[in-house]
Amino acid sequence: FCSTKENDSINSQPPNTETNPTLEDPTPDYMNLLGMVFSMCGLMLKLKWCAWIAVYCSFISFANSRSSEDTKQMMSSFMLSISAVVMSYLQNPQPMSPPW
Amino acid sequence: MRHVVFLLPALLLLLALPYTRGRYNDDFDDGEDNAEFDDNDFAEFEDVSEDPAVDVEKEPPPRAAPSSTPIEDDDEDEATVENEDGQDEFEDADAQDQDMYSKYDNEEFEGYEKSNPSFKDTLIYREVPAHLQNSWESYYMEILMVTGLLAYIMNYIIGKNKNSRLAQAWFNSHRELLESNFALVGDDGTSKEATSTGKLNQENEHIYNLWCSGRVCCEGMLIQLKFLKRQDLLNVLARMMRPACDQVQVKVTLNDEDMDTFVFAVGSRKAMARLQKEMQDLCEFCGDKPKSGAKYGIPESLTILSEMGEVTDGVMDNKMVHYLTSHADKIESIHFSDQFSGPKVMQEEGQPLKLPETKKTLLFTFNVPGMGNTSPKDMDSLLPLMNMVIYSIDKVKKLRLNREGKQKADKNRSRVEENFLKQTHNQRQEAAQTRREEKKRAEKERIMNEEDPDRQRRLEEAAQRREQKKLEKKQMKMKQIKVKAM
Repeated sequence: FCSTKENDSINSQPPNTETNPTLEDPTPDYMNLLGMVFSMCGLMLKLKWCAWIAVYCSFISFANSRSSEDTKQMMSSFMLSISAVVMSYLQNPQPMSPPW
Repeated sequence: MRHVVFLLPALLLLLALPYTRGRYNDDFDDGEDNAEFDDNDFAEFEDVSEDPAVDVEKEPPPRAAPSSTPIEDDDEDEATVENEDGQDEFEDADAQDQDMYSKYDNEEFEGYEKSNPSFKDTLIYREVPAHLQNSWESYYMEILMVTGLLAYIMNYIIGKNKNSRLAQAWFNSHRELLESNFALVGDDGTSKEATSTGKLNQENEHIYNLWCSGRVCCEGMLIQLKFLKRQDLLNVLARMMRPACDQVQVKVTLNDEDMDTFVFAVGSRKAMARLQKEMQDLCEFCGDKPKSGAKYGIPESLTILSEMGEVTDGVMDNKMVHYLTSHADKIESIHFSDQFSGPKVMQEEGQPLKLPETKKTLLFTFNVPGMGNTSPKDMDSLLPLMNMVIYSIDKVKKLRLNREGKQKADKNRSRVEENFLKQTHNQRQEAAQTRREEKKRAEKERIMNEEDPDRQRRLEEAAQRREQKKLEKKQMKMKQIKVKAM
């Protein structure tokens, strides 16, 4: 008798999944933070490679982000890293030298 | 006399040189040249002891440079750019004054050779800064970076699409089964009332949720499609080292009357070992090591964790065994529990003061075949597993422990609760004490803050009376205990 569906026993989805994603996967948050740190380093210390790594970090953070996450945060981190790259090149148009 | 006549135009032409050869001035060792420069262009020829020598030194290099360029080539050849620039300016004069210069060489500067090796010491050819070189090759690192970014973006788009196709394929193959069993399929939780959206809820680029509800035996079922992070290139590269597979996780929450009290789990060896450590209820109720499934007719690769033998016998009926045997490779873990509260909470400074909330739950974790290289067709092979889920829900509703089993189960649960209370006894006492102190302090503050002295007095008296009463009560209790003890 259990194989019939019942309309009056419908329950809406409990909103408990909101706490879990943050616990399960901290990657986008870490990457966001790293990206901001690297772009500040790139801007202040005029290191081109820092700025490029910041761009990569913000891309990775975007790829791993949850749909519930704020797009403004993503965009601001992305813009910051792009501005770090642009500023480094404006101040010093020389190409980046490899570390080896 | 004629020398002077020819000297003047030469000197005039020399005026043009500093503009183009300013850098050479910097490169010469005589630092004092820079210091002594006036606006007067002849300043560089003034007050320098080796005046004529400097003159001639500076002059012949541009002339000698074209001939010495092949020699200097192995030195920085970018430097020749500067030379040639300088050269253009007095090419005309050059021809004219060739003789004069040679005379200069011979007369003024003895021992000067055209291909003067000492030049190599005094003249340092600097590299032209790369950004003035007008060649894209020097920016190869930047080009590499941009290429890397493009590759990442490409992979993101491809990965996202693949995951989306897999999710859609899964949903298409399971839609009928779900819609026939559940009244509500797909609720994203945004609207106040539960409305059936009829499609997956995308949480991420790699996680899709589906909430089903409206069945007699259960409160609801949450299906999570946990795909691999194909959209993240780093993850793709990491997976090349360590293969992983997509997972489908089904969590069925039951009403209180739909399940008897037992805890049971079956799954792959690794998964069972991990769950026994991680899960609160498995840790507390299933203390024994996982038993091999061979005893019950399921493949060796699956092991069983159970609260008591009766539960295992009850769950492992023929149909269940058949399901497990035929799909053993796809089953990661199956976990039935009436005391499910999720993974163990990390012990912070103070242990949690009350038992974690439990819910009667059935948890299924399935591995999608293909080990990462799944195609949408593979999703069909998961359909029998969903049938097993539905069958399990019905089975658990019907499964009832006998009297002995029930007694054992109740004993277990009360034992666990007691242990917990003992552990937290101290903390709870401290917490109660602090609460009492807080209350007293609040009261005192209220009394202090009272402006009216009369009211203050009255409140103080009331507080005192309350204290007195409490003390008396306590004394009575102590007396009673003493009497009982006697």
